Amino acid sequence: MSALGAAAPYLHHPADGHSGRVSFLGAQPWPQVAAVAQLLRDLDRSTFRKLLKLVVGALHGRDCREAAQQLGASANLSEERLAVLLAGTHTLLQQALRRPPASLKPEAFQDELQELGIPQDLIGDLASLVFGSQRPLLDSVAQQQASWLPHMSYFRWRVDVAISTSTQSRSLQPSVLMQLKLSDGSAHRFEVPMAKFQELRYSVALVLKEMAELEKRCERKLQD
Amino acid sequence: MAGELEGAKSLSGLLSGLAQSAFHGHAGITEELLHGQLYPEVPPEEFRPFLAKMRGILKSIASADMDFNQLEAFLTAQTKKQGGITCDQAAVISKFWKSHKTRIRESLLNQSRWDNGLRGLSWRVDGKSQSRHSAQIDTPVAIVELEFGKSGQESEFLCLEFDEVKVKQTLKRLSEVEESINSLMQAA
Repeated sequence: MSALGAAAPYLHHPADGHSGRVSFLGAQPWPQVAAVAQLLRDLDRSTFRKLLKLVVGALHGRDCREAAQQLGASANLSEERLAVLLAGTHTLLQQALRRPPASLKPEAFQDELQELGIPQDLIGDLASLVFGSQRPLLDSVAQQQASWLPHMSYFRWRVDVAISTSTQSRSLQPSVLMQLKLSDGSAHRFEVPMAKFQELRYSVALVLKEMAELEKRCERKLQD
Repeated sequence: MAGELEGAKSLSGLLSGLAQSAFHGHAGITEELLHGQLYPEVPPEEFRPFLAKMRGILKSIASADMDFNQLEAFLTAQTKKQGGITCDQAAVISKFWKSHKTRIRESLLNQSRWDNGLRGLSWRVDGKSQSRHSAQIDTPVAIVELEFGKSGQESEFLCLEFDEVKVKQTLKRLSEVEESINSLMQAA
């Protein structure tokens, strides 16, 4: 046991054979998770909660370096210990959040953390984070991180009617001016002639129909 | 001399040539070319005012985007005017406008558009299955490529990703736009 160090309780898990379930942490143990389990035994709950808040911030993509330094100083943690705590908790949460709630049940999650030797009260905090009210928000962040192309964050339009132009005394032709703001911060403005507008509307309706059909096909496949 | 300027075939060719240079932006069609190709027998001093008259008539018709009643009234007035046109010429012009109205209008509309314009759109629907952050997603995602550019310039492309909710929202917005256009067109 001592030769295996902190990873030992985790390594024992597949050999136990009593549960037969697959760990949410995967077949290979994560060294940082095993290491953090050991450190958590000596951590008081309020520091752990501050740590959790930091890690959740990082999962949301925020820069937490300064907050991490403050936590290290206030809780009197060495830089090394703090690094292990942050990396381990981050990996643990990230792996748990990767599983859809239907495939990782709260009981299984708590059992596994118990087997890692994490104290019960801290397990409660972790579980309420993974299965609680914050989950939809964390899921939507994960979904955003999985898309690499920018998406539309703002769309506005205006219908213009050209009344008279240098080439036509009485034009009275509508056109649509559109402005898109994207998640990467860029903005695009363009004019859509009537013929193109009809094409655009038709295409978007078709895309929606295709998406609905694809979703149906996926559901059917999962049921089979 | 007048008989040569009456020829329906030559006039029809002249109108096409004028439309090409005046509305469709073909710079190569010059007065010399039209003269040499269509009216070689007519002396230049007669051809020049004739060309100017026809150009003026064609521009008036196109600029007002005349419908057929307006056109008949306009051409009848031209035939009665001193130094105007003959009834045969009026018939050729009327026939020409009937077959070219749409294209000329389209071309003129494009000329008064100098903003970035949407040129095309292509799309693809993907089923996303897994990512680093989610083990099981199974959500469809649409990749849309918009092509736009200013007239006479090369296209720019913009690639976007949409989830189903965003596509629904966009479709709703486009329906609003369409409603707005429809109500405008009915009122006009």
